[in-house]
Amino acid sequence: MSNTNTLSSMASGRGHYRALVRRRQLMLAGFGIALLVSLCVDLALGPSNYSLEQVIRALVAPDSVPVQVQVVLWEIRMPIALMAVVVGAALSVAGAQMQTILNNPLASPFTLGISAGASFGAALALAFGVTLIPAAIEYVVPINAFVVAMLAAFFIHLVSMRRGVTVQTIVLLGIALVFTFNALLALVQFFASQQALAAVVFWTMGSLTKATWGKFWITLAVVVVVLPFFFRRAWALTAMRLGDAKAESFGINIARMRLETMILVSLLSAIPIAFVGTVGFVGLVGPHIARMLIGEDQRFFLPASALSGALILSASSVVSKSLIPGTIFPIGVVTSLVGIPFFISLILSNQRRSW
Amino acid sequence: MNLRQLTAAAGLGLAAMISPALADNITVTDITGREVVVDAPVDRVILGEGRQIYLVGALEPENPFQRVVGWREDFSQADPDNYATYLKQFPRMAEIPTFGGFKDSTFDVEQAIALAPDVILMNIESKAATESAQYVEKLEAVGIPLVYVDFREDPFAHTEPSMRLIGQLFGKEKEAEAFLDYRHRQIKRVTDVIEAAKPERPSVFIDRAGGYSDDCCMSFGDGNFGEYVEMAGGQNIAAGIIPATFGNLNPEQIIAANPDHVVVTGGSWDAYVPGGKWVGVGPGADPAEAYRKLEALTHRAAMTGIAAVERSQFHAIWHQFYNSPYEFVAVQRIAKWLHPELFADLDPEATFVELHQRFLPVPYTPGYWVSLSDVEH
Repeated sequence: MSNTNTLSSMASGRGHYRALVRRRQLMLAGFGIALLVSLCVDLALGPSNYSLEQVIRALVAPDSVPVQVQVVLWEIRMPIALMAVVVGAALSVAGAQMQTILNNPLASPFTLGISAGASFGAALALAFGVTLIPAAIEYVVPINAFVVAMLAAFFIHLVSMRRGVTVQTIVLLGIALVFTFNALLALVQFFASQQALAAVVFWTMGSLTKATWGKFWITLAVVVVVLPFFFRRAWALTAMRLGDAKAESFGINIARMRLETMILVSLLSAIPIAFVGTVGFVGLVGPHIARMLIGEDQRFFLPASALSGALILSASSVVSKSLIPGTIFPIGVVTSLVGIPFFISLILSNQRRSW
Repeated sequence: MNLRQLTAAAGLGLAAMISPALADNITVTDITGREVVVDAPVDRVILGEGRQIYLVGALEPENPFQRVVGWREDFSQADPDNYATYLKQFPRMAEIPTFGGFKDSTFDVEQAIALAPDVILMNIESKAATESAQYVEKLEAVGIPLVYVDFREDPFAHTEPSMRLIGQLFGKEKEAEAFLDYRHRQIKRVTDVIEAAKPERPSVFIDRAGGYSDDCCMSFGDGNFGEYVEMAGGQNIAAGIIPATFGNLNPEQIIAANPDHVVVTGGSWDAYVPGGKWVGVGPGADPAEAYRKLEALTHRAAMTGIAAVERSQFHAIWHQFYNSPYEFVAVQRIAKWLHPELFADLDPEATFVELHQRFLPVPYTPGYWVSLSDVEH
């Protein structure tokens, strides 16, 4: 009697689990479809007002349309639209894993000083022509941004490896870094010429118009290389969220896990920021949306974070060029203005505790 | 006439006899409408922006720095080519105390007081910062008047009153009027023709500091170069799109607008972007090199197939015309590019040469512009 009971409860548990998995798979599919729609809208919209038929023809048979349409679609709209997707995905996954390993809902590339470091590095190049590593002229600014961002990340690693350092310390340290780099940035601006000042200000506002095919492929390559590492560790990362003690009891080397994840996450955030400038809040809000809708299981949480970040940035890209047709609103401003109200509502509705 | 009046009159006469050249208190009205009492003519002046020397120099070409006791350090950064020319001619310039810092903000008020100026000329952009720091009150307390001038925010409305004001302060009204009269006539040479002929307005894309960064494309809205283009009988494609004086255009918008002309602003920015794609026009520029770099800018995606490229109506002009009181030369140059037949007898280069010869402390050096329509290349 009791035997059949356990069996039936096991069966119902399995059924329940299957339903849960199925629901999450559907959710991911929904995200994917929404992203695809957003990408198509991004490609279809623009001040040239090409007809949908022309856009589709330019995409499937580029040689059948005038060269201007080709260039607009393939050299202007496409790199921007695709860059929005990969940058959004990269920043969101970076934020998600920072939140996971630091066990802190406020962690993101933005709040840990990596963006601020990138801005400072870029400003050095824009204002004074300082090149930290010699490179081709079009990559001087991104490389500078990348180097300083990685230095910031490396500094956080160094400190986090000291004995007795808690995750709270790391978060506070990140905030200290933000303030440090902001002060240094202001210092650069103080000495910059008017011309350079305008360039620095525009850079720090973030803009997808800097996107080129070369930059897109590099960013995509980083995402493609880093994501499998996280997928392979999905279970371990999920366990990290149960707390250090529990994770350790599962046989996870948490110190090592934290260090490796931090290195990967730094790559994942520093490279896109170096290319498009400061794009705030995607790395913070993207993972929170994913977590609220799909939960903490990394097998689903990871792709959901990537998709939600990509969707946010792709939609922001559409907004940024539609607000004032003909100009492109700095995308960092759009994501921050959309992200901040969301972020506040997230804090205030904390009763539901998705965190 | 009673005794009191008599003594007063005698006193005045005596004072006048003793020091006929002594400064008088005069009341001047500055650009913002403030009435300021100044002991004029002034002997010691602080230039709140170094490039105010463009105006001051036109009043006292033989010795433009004789009254300058301190100035902001922006001339050497913003306009290194002319700075070098001035320095060669007036080596003393290097010894004038400078104050650096933000373009808009203010200066060390203590340093300013220590230099004991008779007047401080501030640019109108710094008004908010100056007011919030209450510099005017602090300086008034030690008897140093401050006046606002402007030749950048609204050059066509403010250059004249600014120049008159400086003329009054320096006791050089005649020189100021002569310069303004010349400037006025040179502007009219363009605007009168445009008004009379009412030509069809070709569309123009102004590529602000084209090639400076690979982020395409910064441009001007209604103000500044946008205004120059309108005066020159063109239609700025960014007008109504860029809300402020300058901003970013969607690169696709340039293809969509298909401008008839592109005007790239350039300068030698080697100090900021070494080996960058900017076009280094300006005094003493190498025309062949400028031409080569200008041509390279036509290969950007946003320039694909536009009329300006197809018909070689692709020009570059010195970026610093955007904040120089000599901007009327740029207006003439752009007008001649846009309407070559209408302005067949207008020679912008001759205007600039004449301006230097008649008014400016330094000789003219060519190189301020280049165009792909130039035949000699």
